[in-house]
Amino acid sequence: MIKEIHDKLINKEITATELIKGYFKTIDEKDNQIKAFLTLTKDQALEQAEKIDKKIKQGKEINDLEGIPYATKDNMLVKGVKATAGSKILENYTASFDATVIKKLKEQGAILLGKTNMDEFAMGSSTENSAFFTTKNPHDLERVPGGSSGGSAASVASKMSVFALGSDTGGSIRQPAGFCGVVGFKPSYGTVSRYGLIAMASSLDIIGPFAQTVEDAEIIFKNITGKDKMDSTSQDISAVLDKTQNIQNVVFGLPKEYFQEGLDDKIKKTIEKMVEKIKSQGATIKEVSLPSTSYALPCYYIIMPAEVSSNLARFDGIRYSSINDYSDLHDMYFKTRGKGFGAEVRRRIVLGTYVLSSGYYDAYYKKAQQVRRLIAQEFNKVFEEVDFLITPTSPTFPFKIGEKINDPLSMYLSDIFTVGANIAGIPAINLPCGQAGNLPINMQIIGPYLSDFSLLNISKTIENIIS
Amino acid sequence: MDFKEIDHLLELSRIELSSQEKEKIALDLEKILGYVRQLQELGTNDVEPMTGGTLIENICREDKIDEQKINVSKELKESASNLKDDYFKIPPIF
Repeated sequence: MIKEIHDKLINKEITATELIKGYFKTIDEKDNQIKAFLTLTKDQALEQAEKIDKKIKQGKEINDLEGIPYATKDNMLVKGVKATAGSKILENYTASFDATVIKKLKEQGAILLGKTNMDEFAMGSSTENSAFFTTKNPHDLERVPGGSSGGSAASVASKMSVFALGSDTGGSIRQPAGFCGVVGFKPSYGTVSRYGLIAMASSLDIIGPFAQTVEDAEIIFKNITGKDKMDSTSQDISAVLDKTQNIQNVVFGLPKEYFQEGLDDKIKKTIEKMVEKIKSQGATIKEVSLPSTSYALPCYYIIMPAEVSSNLARFDGIRYSSINDYSDLHDMYFKTRGKGFGAEVRRRIVLGTYVLSSGYYDAYYKKAQQVRRLIAQEFNKVFEEVDFLITPTSPTFPFKIGEKINDPLSMYLSDIFTVGANIAGIPAINLPCGQAGNLPINMQIIGPYLSDFSLLNISKTIENIIS
Repeated sequence: MDFKEIDHLLELSRIELSSQEKEKIALDLEKILGYVRQLQELGTNDVEPMTGGTLIENICREDKIDEQKINVSKELKESASNLKDDYFKIPPIF
């Protein structure tokens, strides 16, 4: 889709200004129902479009992404634009610099339409934890769009943006991409700079794209990946060989633990049918086992809150607080954080504080770090046997708004198939592969650490086979 | 988890909650901890903890000033809600 728009722009079939106005018109028509956006950046977008039109008129060359309209999750900083991360505590915060991903996209000329809704500080699977409102699933307005990057997923699914950025700590790109029926890619840990991403759990967080097609996701990833001096965990993987492979030489593994009870039967049957199609094109399919699969989620619910409790300690009310009624500094901290954070964020901070506190550290945090290594080793081992893994993205269809909000544990289980890739730091992608009624069915393809370009390539082939 | 323990955790976390909210959080934490305790079933005696998401090793950077890292203070100050003579105003500590 990006290439088509690019061609239209350079062939002067449409101007960038017309394109951007068209997208804002769609937003005007649809977003009062879907509620994907928290902030719109219309003036800046139109100003930028005008400059690009001038460039095209003068016969100058433009980049692949130049003039392409996109949205970004509200936990990424855009200089001069509000960044709330879906939280009351940052309601009045305007970013003072650009996140590296935003800077890169700006340099390429992509046009930001606005910032999208999300679960507060990216904690949730439905956007219901946003301090502002809940985004609706474009395919069924009574259902959730998934989360935490639900606004970004919904904006792409309802064609209010060509692509969008999200962040994925335990499934926050792939699960909403699945619920909304679009492509969502979680790159290997460290391949995209986290500078300017409001931190949730720093050893798990990664930024990635939502798009209509794998080709688009690949274009975006190529433009945002790379080493950044502002993020010491970032790395350049351009030297890692893109093993563009003929599907006949590829071995796909089906981890049996991902196809057991709890998985919706319709989702299971559709994926099995797709696997048959892939097999009929000459690929080898092999059943494999990842015995520690069921421990990935409990492991995540120790490591993630531990990092959350430490990362969110910075929100002390001194810089952007609006709370004035306190007796001393201590009281100000308590009131700011008690009122500024929502229930889920408070729950995770307290849980994280518990697992890190003296007396419990070894039994919880250290244990989880050991299990994390076991899980990562298990993935490494299985990738000696197979090239990629095919699994469901979510065990269920999008649930109804309100259905899980009072039971945190059942909400956490939404991430059961996605969280393993974060624990191990490996890349994974959501691919829509069918429908039941108007709700999308999806599969997830997981690749070895740093195999991002190969994974995207094979996903393009699979996208062709299953469509 | 009793109220005393919850109060201690809230004190460490610097979060003020109503007693109703405390009851709810105690209940939720019980459930979540019950769920994560299943990790104890796994034997991990000789397993080295995995302390981060990356295989990159620590290296020292050159000891020189990086303009990108220091030149944000102006914008930061502009976004502050309570500033006096270039300082953040905070309530008394004692």
